[in-house]
Amino acid sequence: MTDQAPKRPAEPWRQRLIRTLLYGRNVDRSAKARARVGLAIIAFSLVYAVIAGRLVMFAVGGDGHGTRRTASQDAIATARPDILDRNGMILATDVKTPSLFGEPRRIIDKDEAIELLTATLPDVDAGEVRDRLSSRKGFVWLKREITAQQQKDIYRLGIPGIGFLRENKRVYPSGPIVSHLIGHVNIDNQGIAGIEKWLDSNGLADLHRAGFATDRQQEPVQLAVDLRVEHALRDELLKAKDKYSAKAAAGLVSNVNTGEIIAMVSVPDYDPNNPREANDPTRINRLTTGVFEMGSTFKSLTLAMALDSGRATINTLYDARAPLVYGKFRINDTHNLGRSVPMWEVFTESSNVASARIALSMGVEAHKAFLRKLGQLSRLRTELPESAEPLVPKRWSELNTITIAFGHGMAVAPLQAVMGINALINGGYLIPPTFLKRSREDAMQVAKQVVKPETSNSMRYLMRLNAEKGTARKADVKGYYVGGKTGTSEKVVNGRYSKKQVLNSFTAIMPADNPQYQLLIMLDEPKGLPETHGFITSGWNAVPTGGKVIERIAPLLGMTPRFDLPPSERLILAASKESR
Amino acid sequence: MRFVHLFVICALVFAAAYVYRIKMESTVRTERVLKLRADIRQQRDSIASLKAEWAKLESPKRLQELASRHLSLRPIEAIQFDSLKNLPPRPPSFVKPGDPDPIGTIIESVDLEALAAAASQDETLTGSIPQPEGAQ
Repeated sequence: MTDQAPKRPAEPWRQRLIRTLLYGRNVDRSAKARARVGLAIIAFSLVYAVIAGRLVMFAVGGDGHGTRRTASQDAIATARPDILDRNGMILATDVKTPSLFGEPRRIIDKDEAIELLTATLPDVDAGEVRDRLSSRKGFVWLKREITAQQQKDIYRLGIPGIGFLRENKRVYPSGPIVSHLIGHVNIDNQGIAGIEKWLDSNGLADLHRAGFATDRQQEPVQLAVDLRVEHALRDELLKAKDKYSAKAAAGLVSNVNTGEIIAMVSVPDYDPNNPREANDPTRINRLTTGVFEMGSTFKSLTLAMALDSGRATINTLYDARAPLVYGKFRINDTHNLGRSVPMWEVFTESSNVASARIALSMGVEAHKAFLRKLGQLSRLRTELPESAEPLVPKRWSELNTITIAFGHGMAVAPLQAVMGINALINGGYLIPPTFLKRSREDAMQVAKQVVKPETSNSMRYLMRLNAEKGTARKADVKGYYVGGKTGTSEKVVNGRYSKKQVLNSFTAIMPADNPQYQLLIMLDEPKGLPETHGFITSGWNAVPTGGKVIERIAPLLGMTPRFDLPPSERLILAASKESR
Repeated sequence: MRFVHLFVICALVFAAAYVYRIKMESTVRTERVLKLRADIRQQRDSIASLKAEWAKLESPKRLQELASRHLSLRPIEAIQFDSLKNLPPRPPSFVKPGDPDPIGTIIESVDLEALAAAASQDETLTGSIPQPEGAQ
């Protein structure tokens, strides 16, 4: 075809064009041959270029036969970030432990394997192992989290089809000290309570699913809690619980100015390393998952409301001459005062009658609005997933206002009450509590001014006065200028208020002139002792406990004792003159 | 032309050998990297478990139990704290500022060489103060 091609005019124009490009118009054989070789060169170099490119791609991509092995290892070893306390002490961390698995299809002699395994691991159930190994599955767990020694022993047995995977095990070195706060994880390292659950709901679970959270290189999470304070609080609470044979005890230390929770203890508690204990209903966290009638502690809110409205000062007189009769109800005081008392005495004597009158003088709507403003009527959300809705009367009548004025008829989570009282003493800022470390500046950004600073001043003085000459005398640790309010609330048993079963609380602030920390102590159903003369009111058990706690934690919190402070009475006089 | 062929064949052989060497080297290095990574992982894991153990050992609960068993110490009380401003005033200084320190001058005035010479003569001389003049 090529021979006669140049001379043929009948050739289609396309062929002619190609030929012209390849050979020129007048071609000879050698030129043709050269052109063919050139074509072959181009074709082969293309093929080689493709091969070379492919090689480069392989080289860049890496074969990674080693990395693949560790990747399968990591797929199950989900890592969690360490949790530290505010001083960097480890509260929770990951430790690698081997886990035993079997591949039933590859086991040659099942009976022998079962026999050997149950001999080395005495705590596994032979029947269960048999069931699992008899299945037709490719992979079964035999035992999660075995010890290194057991791993070595089983390895030495040399059973085919039995292998180990290294998993991350969550450990809590401080044991039950921070249990309620930090929560715990299940065997697959998913958080199921407390801060651990919060971590999961804040993106860690997504990371796990995407397969990124495999390495240890995760930023640790720093909490606001101080392990030493937490321990001191727990230790004293356990002692108090034993001493007064109480059903339960709880305590909370919070930073007044940032809303950080420095310590939170609710005993009985559990060991997060052994999370099965957590299912016991007596071990709930009473500070966030329980709601309680806070008793006289709530009087602080009532009095603050009256002070904040500007209609009363701490010297305003209130009638406490006789029990308050409302319909068929009679509101009594623990001891009848029989006279009109100024507001500061309402606080120190903890008069139910007078505080009810204060609330009535403000009106039902104002009372409700004030409590709402202080966050007492709605569910408090913190980092802890567990939270309880406060029990608020559906129809809020005058009678409700009367009882709520002295802390009955409405139940809130104690943490909620702490938040409200923090707002009363820190200059009037309502700061949502947090379990994470927070600076003062960050706190002020989320803070809301709810009462006037002057009201806050008066409340501090009232609390200090109460520690000097009121019901909180036993907690007045010299040098720390403690202030406080006690609360004894009768528990509802079979629909009636019981005189025998009470819930005692004590709220302390320190130092009262410039509060840094608030401490809440709660004792559930303490019993009378000879040394308390059989009394079960807060002043005889919760308050001394609070005193002991303050003595222990104040140095840890970096508070310097001062002994040159004036008695509060003079300050009150000065303050009341100012406010006039 | 033949020479060119020979040259190309040689170059090919060299290139193959070179590529083989590079390949081997890279394999060795990859292995090393993997081993180092595994080592780092292992070290990190053991650091983590040591830290966990440390945290367990210094858990305040354990420390308190140990302290109450072995020590006769009591918790600190507020009254035991004091501030720096309550320290007694510094005793008056007998040396005016700028004057040389009197004790320092005594020490410096000791002639060490004479002392060494005296020591070589008299074995009983031990102190750092030279013996009085007329003693020898």
